[in-house]
Amino acid sequence: MNGQPSVLEKVFAFVDERVGLKTLQAKMLNEPVPGGSRWAYVFGSCLLFIFIMQAVTGILLMFYYVPSADHAYASTQYILHEVDYGWFLLSYHFWGSTAMVVMVFAHMSQVFLWGAYKKPREMVWLVGLALFGLVMAFGFTGYLLPWDQRAYWATTVGVEIMDKTPVVGDFIARFLKGGPTPGQMTLSRFFVIHVMILPAALMGLAGLHLFLFRKAGPAGPFQGSVEELKAKTDYFFPRQVWKDVVAMAAVFFTICSLAFIEPVVLLEEATPDPGDYHPEPEWYFLFLFQMLRLKIFSGEFGQFLAGVAIPNAFLLLLAALPFIDRNPERNIFKRPIALVGWIVVMAGILIITVSAIINREFLD
Amino acid sequence: MQPKLKSKVRCTDREVGEVTRIIVDPLSREVSHIVVGRNGAGVPERQIPASTIQAVTDDTVELRAPSSELNQFPVFRRDEYVTTHEVEIAHLEDHLHVQPGEVLVPLPELERNVKRRTFFTNLTHAIGALIALPLVYPVLRYLMKPMYAPFDNRWLKIGNVNRIKADDVGVQFKFKKAVKEAFMPEADVDKNVWVLKASPAVLEEVYGSKDMEFRDHTGGVIWTNKRDVPYVAYSGKCPHLGCGYKWRNVPKLGRQIFLCPCHLSIYDSSGKVLDGPAPRPLDPVPIRVAANGDIEIIDVEYKAGTKVQTRIV
Repeated sequence: MNGQPSVLEKVFAFVDERVGLKTLQAKMLNEPVPGGSRWAYVFGSCLLFIFIMQAVTGILLMFYYVPSADHAYASTQYILHEVDYGWFLLSYHFWGSTAMVVMVFAHMSQVFLWGAYKKPREMVWLVGLALFGLVMAFGFTGYLLPWDQRAYWATTVGVEIMDKTPVVGDFIARFLKGGPTPGQMTLSRFFVIHVMILPAALMGLAGLHLFLFRKAGPAGPFQGSVEELKAKTDYFFPRQVWKDVVAMAAVFFTICSLAFIEPVVLLEEATPDPGDYHPEPEWYFLFLFQMLRLKIFSGEFGQFLAGVAIPNAFLLLLAALPFIDRNPERNIFKRPIALVGWIVVMAGILIITVSAIINREFLD
Repeated sequence: MQPKLKSKVRCTDREVGEVTRIIVDPLSREVSHIVVGRNGAGVPERQIPASTIQAVTDDTVELRAPSSELNQFPVFRRDEYVTTHEVEIAHLEDHLHVQPGEVLVPLPELERNVKRRTFFTNLTHAIGALIALPLVYPVLRYLMKPMYAPFDNRWLKIGNVNRIKADDVGVQFKFKKAVKEAFMPEADVDKNVWVLKASPAVLEEVYGSKDMEFRDHTGGVIWTNKRDVPYVAYSGKCPHLGCGYKWRNVPKLGRQIFLCPCHLSIYDSSGKVLDGPAPRPLDPVPIRVAANGDIEIIDVEYKAGTKVQTRIV
């Protein structure tokens, strides 16, 4: 140490002078978290982490995957059985999508229960809902790409459900399928939506989500006096960053374990003849699938109700939530309707999903 | 009014120095303290809570305390604070008015004509629209190219009636259909229909008192299933949401039925909905049986999930 700055320090100083790295870093890390860091705040960071890993594994899968009806299945099998660690990357990508959906539910539930969607965070909530839609769209489009029986039938049924949208349904269904029935055009379209359109949209909206979140500031706990909150307040770095990173590691190792224990296995190649296969969608669409089995949702109107009207009405209700619920009270234990509503929705989804699983026995 | 930097600080008895710094509460975003620099070298700066401030004018801050009590306030420690540039506090600037005044730069001469600014804004949008609008139609046509294919009215041979052993029993006939999709090489696609040799009662259920006509997209009749021909073929696609259904023996019902495993629609051998969410009966397709028993069909497909049949293939 002779007091002279090292080359590295000079380079850093050079960049800092032009870009303002130190200020940028300070602004990123020094955000007061009212009431201090908490494990309950890790879900958003985890979602970002999962998305980045999905992007990385997704790009790696594209080195071998061919989005054509006569090669999609073979190239996916090649990834699974021939390419070194291909099975791992594909299985990670598969379980990553499941983790994403689980984490979205956790994140939304936390924000809902903490009353963090209320003024002044309405815009953060709205953009978050759009991101939720994107995550579901990712799941739906990605499902088709391996072009096995599961893929083909989940898509067939899913698109038929969209077809039930009034006026534009037929156009949407044909547009997505690229024709009257699923085929090469469907695969091409789902592929470009999955690997280009949705990632671009997600990056843009996630950026906006973070920007709006920073603009409004974190909501903090829903109870506690100003003095208590102030005494516990710290910055995003290091305690919250630490909790976030630990949670990310936990997510990472969970996904890895699932990829090892339950690696992806493809069914037969896709064909319009289902053979002995009983079509079923991914677990997070199971409740919708099961709802369509119910007698009250039979017939043309019933399908529209269960497949289009109810899900969209629910999303609309969520979007309208901060504008309907204008009471500034954030404590969930003082918001009985919100608490009961959350329990009913979660229990409802759980019960319908479980009944779909029980129905499997009846079919075999 | 918020205290300003450089304002004189006056105790109840005399002036003691000036405001050197202002401290803000990060949660309430209100001024919580002022830091008072004292006249004279080596005198430490003191940190005075906002509650001690009596009044604030344009250039002075009056305190409630006499100058003799000033030393009871804590000494200001710079390392216990960060500047507002080093921390991200939402809407901080909306709450703070501590600058001595506005900091200005001159508006260039050419920027002072408001009318032209509006004109250029509108022109920018107009040029944007000029670039985007002509693209809408070609892009839409480009994307819509494969969406509406003409119907395929070819007769396809699917097998022989000698496979059917009993009346009113669903028998699955799998067949290959050569499909040429866009740029892809022609490929055989696996498809299936369910054929049954219908008893007169079932035939009556299927056709009623009329023959069944099948139409092209122009509305022209391409084939008529005569109601006295006992062989009926159902499209392999469930009219509920397009899954593939099965002929199953259900001991509980004491009979055989068509069952779709997706959403559990149940049909009898005449295609009538017995239970489940399906909005219409199974879809019969054009069928003809040659003298030697060879069955041919036209692979007609209808939109699933609607009460009325809408042909899509």
